[in-house]
Amino acid sequence: MKKLLLIGLVAMLGASCKSYLEEDTTGLLYGPNVLSTQEGLESALTGAYRGLGAQWTYGFLHPSANAATLGSDDVTTHPASNKADWREFDQFNVSTTNQRSGAVYNGCYKAIQGANNVINNYQKTTGTKATIDIIAGEAYFIRGFSYYWLTRFYGSIPLVMAGEYSDSLLTIKKSTPAQVYDLIVADLKKAETMLPNTRREPGRPNAGSAKAFLADVYLTMAGWPLKQTDKYDLAAAKAKEVIDNRATYGFALMPTFAEVFANDPAVASIPESVFQISGFTGGSGTANATYGNTTMPGEEGGWDDMFAELFFFRDFPEGPRKSATFRTEFGLGTTKIPWQNSLTRHPYYQKWYIKGNIVTSSISLPSVMMRYPHVLTIYAEAKARGTGGPDQAAYDALNAVRLRGRATGTKALTPADGLTATQFADEVVQERAWEFACERTRWFDLIRLERVEAANAAKSPDDLQPIKAITKANYWFPLPYSDTSINPGLN
Amino acid sequence: MKKNVVFFVFLLLLCQGYAFAQSARVTGKVTGPDNQGLPGVNVQVNGTTTGTSTDVDGNFALNAASTSSLVFSNIGYVSQTVPVNGRSVINVQLAEDQKTLNEVVVVGYGTQRKTDVTGALTAISTKEFAQQPVTRLDQVLQGRAAGVQVTQTNGAPGGDARIRIRGANSVLGNNNPLYIVDGYVGADFNFVNPSDIETIQVLKDAASTSIYGSRGANGVVIITTKKGARGLKVNYEGQFSISENIKRYDVLPAGEFAEIVNARATATGSGLPFTADQIAQYKQNGGTDWQSLVFRQGTGQQHQVTVSGGGEKTTYLISGNYLDQNGIVNNSGFRRYILRTNINTQVNDKLSFRLNLWGTQSKNHNTLDGGAIVQALAWAPTTPAYGSDGMPTFTDPIGSVYRNPLDYLYDQSIDTKRASLNVNGGLNYKLPIKGLTLDLQYAVNYLNSQNLNFTGKRLSNGVPSATRYSTDQVTLQNTNNLNYDVKIGNHSINAVAVLETQQYTEQNFTATASGLRFPQLGYDNIGGNAAASVASAFNKWTLLSLLGRVNYSYKDKYLVTAAVRRDGSSKFSSANRYSVFPSVALGWRLSEEEFIKNLNVFSNLKLRGSWGMTGSQAINPYATLSTYGTTFSAFNNSAATAGVILGNPGNVNLKWETTKQTDVGLEMEFLNGRIRIEADYFKKNTTDLLLNVAIPAYAGGGTQTRNVGEVENKGIELSIGGTPIDKGGFRWETNLNVSTLQNQVVSLGGLPRLGTGTGVGGGMSTTNEFMLMPGQPLGSYWGLKYLGTWKPNEADEAARYGRVPGDPHYQDLNGDNSITTDDFQIIGRAFPKATGGWNNTFTYKGLTLNVFFNGVFGVDKLNYTRAAALSGSGDARQFILTEIRDYYRQGNETSDIPAFTRTYQPFTQSSRFLENGSFVRLKNISLSYNVPTGFIKNKANLRVFASATNLFTITQYKGPDPESARVGSNTDTAIGIDYGSYPNSKTYTLGVNLGF
Repeated sequence: MKKLLLIGLVAMLGASCKSYLEEDTTGLLYGPNVLSTQEGLESALTGAYRGLGAQWTYGFLHPSANAATLGSDDVTTHPASNKADWREFDQFNVSTTNQRSGAVYNGCYKAIQGANNVINNYQKTTGTKATIDIIAGEAYFIRGFSYYWLTRFYGSIPLVMAGEYSDSLLTIKKSTPAQVYDLIVADLKKAETMLPNTRREPGRPNAGSAKAFLADVYLTMAGWPLKQTDKYDLAAAKAKEVIDNRATYGFALMPTFAEVFANDPAVASIPESVFQISGFTGGSGTANATYGNTTMPGEEGGWDDMFAELFFFRDFPEGPRKSATFRTEFGLGTTKIPWQNSLTRHPYYQKWYIKGNIVTSSISLPSVMMRYPHVLTIYAEAKARGTGGPDQAAYDALNAVRLRGRATGTKALTPADGLTATQFADEVVQERAWEFACERTRWFDLIRLERVEAANAAKSPDDLQPIKAITKANYWFPLPYSDTSINPGLN
Repeated sequence: MKKNVVFFVFLLLLCQGYAFAQSARVTGKVTGPDNQGLPGVNVQVNGTTTGTSTDVDGNFALNAASTSSLVFSNIGYVSQTVPVNGRSVINVQLAEDQKTLNEVVVVGYGTQRKTDVTGALTAISTKEFAQQPVTRLDQVLQGRAAGVQVTQTNGAPGGDARIRIRGANSVLGNNNPLYIVDGYVGADFNFVNPSDIETIQVLKDAASTSIYGSRGANGVVIITTKKGARGLKVNYEGQFSISENIKRYDVLPAGEFAEIVNARATATGSGLPFTADQIAQYKQNGGTDWQSLVFRQGTGQQHQVTVSGGGEKTTYLISGNYLDQNGIVNNSGFRRYILRTNINTQVNDKLSFRLNLWGTQSKNHNTLDGGAIVQALAWAPTTPAYGSDGMPTFTDPIGSVYRNPLDYLYDQSIDTKRASLNVNGGLNYKLPIKGLTLDLQYAVNYLNSQNLNFTGKRLSNGVPSATRYSTDQVTLQNTNNLNYDVKIGNHSINAVAVLETQQYTEQNFTATASGLRFPQLGYDNIGGNAAASVASAFNKWTLLSLLGRVNYSYKDKYLVTAAVRRDGSSKFSSANRYSVFPSVALGWRLSEEEFIKNLNVFSNLKLRGSWGMTGSQAINPYATLSTYGTTFSAFNNSAATAGVILGNPGNVNLKWETTKQTDVGLEMEFLNGRIRIEADYFKKNTTDLLLNVAIPAYAGGGTQTRNVGEVENKGIELSIGGTPIDKGGFRWETNLNVSTLQNQVVSLGGLPRLGTGTGVGGGMSTTNEFMLMPGQPLGSYWGLKYLGTWKPNEADEAARYGRVPGDPHYQDLNGDNSITTDDFQIIGRAFPKATGGWNNTFTYKGLTLNVFFNGVFGVDKLNYTRAAALSGSGDARQFILTEIRDYYRQGNETSDIPAFTRTYQPFTQSSRFLENGSFVRLKNISLSYNVPTGFIKNKANLRVFASATNLFTITQYKGPDPESARVGSNTDTAIGIDYGSYPNSKTYTLGVNLGF
């Protein structure tokens, strides 16, 4: 009996069915079905945004992009401390392993991967077509936006349109800036037609955002390296479209400069925000670190990451903009130390102080990637450099920015001042330097106008100097070692 | 007599049909060489099945015919046959068996006489660690078995240990050995209570491990736990310990620190942070000693109670263990409970049942690296620890850019709670065919593991948050084992056939809450929050195995073993699902040959050799599929939206990683076992190496698992043991083992190199710290070669790099006048070339002294802790170690510590911070005393002991502990980095052991 029982047992166990080794994928999210529903497509779009905003990992929610644009003449960093990786940019000695530019590189490509996945699949998605088109429009915007940052930082880059990985990607070659810009323009053109006039949420683009970035792209294409000067007219036209329809898109120039940088975490979005990456402290990696600690001096518990260059501050025109831009006395209590007597002997950027001077590196404030006055200055400059020179609208656009920033009593510029078109355009460029100081704008202006060498030559001798003479090779960063070591064909 | 009463009561209680026979009654006592009673000695009436075993004091009683003989036998002792000759009392003293010839060793799915073993395996005697305050299995293994390398990488109580048998084969998979506890495959060594161990065997070569097939490649540790024996036995063991830092970093006193900070500010053109008055005050009043705020004297205690007993047919053992240790870092600790019971019953001559229950619970509290330990060397000694509000100072204006070490200690809880239950039962049945036995075993292993993290308001930028991660893992195992054992003339055959299945299911969920309304409740009540998110996952794999093994020996002289296992795993797609792992081994017991016997030198001499294959399925389930993960993005200032993001691309072509191993061994024993030497040479080649190959960021980043390349491990193991002195009651037993390991990447499937990093060096490392390259070992450090500082006579050359004399000078490998990643090269090795242990036990009467050294040789460590505190990297803005006193300046141009300049660009990932990590350590010294039996009225056994671990260390390493590192035990590609590692401690223990 016992024997029978035992034999039976063994037999039962031995009869292991083949299905015992089948993989059980319960709870696994994979395959093409993920994107076949509108909810799935929306989730993938949300994932694409992650590339642009993952605090301390990649994207723009921490001061990596600021560090990478330190080669301009508005901002510098600590000569010692723990800022070696920041100095690499200010001293034109960027290593292929720099983690700051690397965070932008990795983040933009992660966003591109997510956007590609949406773009390549949205036509097969079932759901409300209007919503699906908006989702796809946002994806086009994200891809165009990301490639725009990449090509301005790195020049020739791999141009990837696939959402899913394949081995063939390991050996692809770099595409030229011209090829990259073709895609950027195509993407933003798609986005401007597919996006609604009203943003779905503060941290998303609308049609106006796409047009504004397209205008900025045209302006850049007209300068170095492509020098397609015919693009000035396109830039002006596209900027004008945004200006004329600003109410439709919800864009406005705020009455005072100080309001723009009130930096109140209770406010989700300001009227000047053309496109922003929102920050929220309650999510995983979604808080913003570009405010607070990073631009505060050690005297106030800050990190001394970046502060104003001496001559830039000296030459900055007086007015409400200057007082709202800079912090010239340090101390959160009653004792104030003038910047001249501070440890780093530099004025700092008040712009990135949080309301109430909170000392933190995580706050629910957005990284505004373009402000409305940026559009005004695009128009003014592009019109001046394009066919026919500056018109009254160009003067109006410049004056709106200029008069708000400068001391009361400053006169508006008029054609009667006798500026040539080039002089007017340069006046706009200079106004942009003041208006967008420490906002990652100056560096790109210097590059497209090939003024990096001149601007750095004019720096105060007390500021950090380039390690070696600046050449055109310094206009772009070397591609990250992490990628060139896998695909040596990129070198 | 009292004892016997207890004994009989127990017999009655157990009611196992004990019957008295008609023959005469014989009683007596069996003692060992030390005149102490020997429990558990088998006493049998010669030629019959009548028998018994001795009780806890060595007493026995049975009925035997006056003309019969009694056979007394016990493992480790020379058996004696004593004629009864009409006596009613027979006392016997057994001599210890110096020869290990008759030892039975546990091998996979069976046992073997040690003499018949053809594979390379090491048995660790429980005697070797009985005198030591070991609390976990890794401490048992460390230094005691040739070829086994144990590194306590995290010195916290309950901290991580890396255990490797014959090196590391796999780059991707974890190279942890496979642990078998009482037949359950894949047990967690953390939960093994050393006091429960009866035997422990380390299987090293393929002949021994191929029987474990796809899971045997990293070696196998087989543990059997203590079983009950007849007669009630109660044992209590208590230990109390205190522990402290082995060493701390030398940091500058506040005044001098302030002077150096000022000197640097002057040299680089910044304002002076400190006035002369302040400096004078610091010199007078001192500053903050952050290390002494972070570290403390730890305390610990362990209690262990074992109760065992049983009758003729049924025996049981219950053991309970409680361990509570407070670490040397403030507010860190570990607590563990283990309860183990087993019961065995022999129903009749043929059938027996057994059941093991093993329950554990443990909690690690703040036993992690980094955090406070890193910040203690980043915060300035000039910054007060507490502010005027009595709270820790919030920011450091001079030193660190990050949080106060005290906030790391007290404003967060990073805890792990684990509870497990292992139920393992079986039956053994002798089938009607002689020598054929069927053994069935079923096991259920349940583990609940919870990671509980809380970050308070201060550490979290004002957003207190908590995360709870809980995983339930259930493993079901069934093993059906047919064993055939027969001896016909000169031919002995032992054969095993097994069908085994294992199924693992994991279900986990995570809940994260931020903006906690009631942060005082920590992670225990997270419902009140500003934002929360949840996630869950399901994971499952199955393994189906068929295996067989035949041992054949002729005249006990010529030995052959052949084994094969076929494993099927659900982790692979159907084309690659099954794999076969064969092995064969030969042994020749030369000492049985006349020509060797005639030499009269060897008491045992055996030559053996083996070849075989083992595998690794070192991948997670679902690696063949490309899956999405959950992520979050914010679209406003008040919520985060969940989305999905593509994870690592899957690879449908994944297959098994296979290790082929060849082993040649020689075993020698002289002077009847008084000297034993065992030497092995092995070579392992792992092919179809599973690697996580990095995917470029432009293609989505992350990694893809692929079968590429080959790794080779080879080495020599030598173990010398013996009893040099055994005279006049004084005995010295010693065991020395040394093993070398040469590890090499043979190929990477065409890739010229492959970086592997850690991510531990937040802000310290700029790229992967390790590089896999054909011809180089795993764990090769990748970085710049530091040539010292630029010297005054090299000013022109330095200028070509934009540098000035005093700046760091790195080797410019490609001579392009700039230091880039193209100048990175292999600068060191993280794998030691050799490891060893030397264990000595001296006994004299009741006194036992144990002295145990272990050593690690030929290894480098990348010391990021020191680098951060000496280079202004990571969170540290200033230089805090006393070494900086020697910085390069006018008049001190020979210094290789860089000057304070504006052109200073440090690379921490360079040979400047690579240090020799070799060490020899007095791992344990302990003295114990067996209090004479008569000393205590009720004849209990009392032993007291005192011991010290890590009492001294000989090393050139500049950190506090060469053994601890930052990377966990599951990887071998990125070991050896020290960045705020929780250091091992010096521990003093007092213990008492009471048995009756």
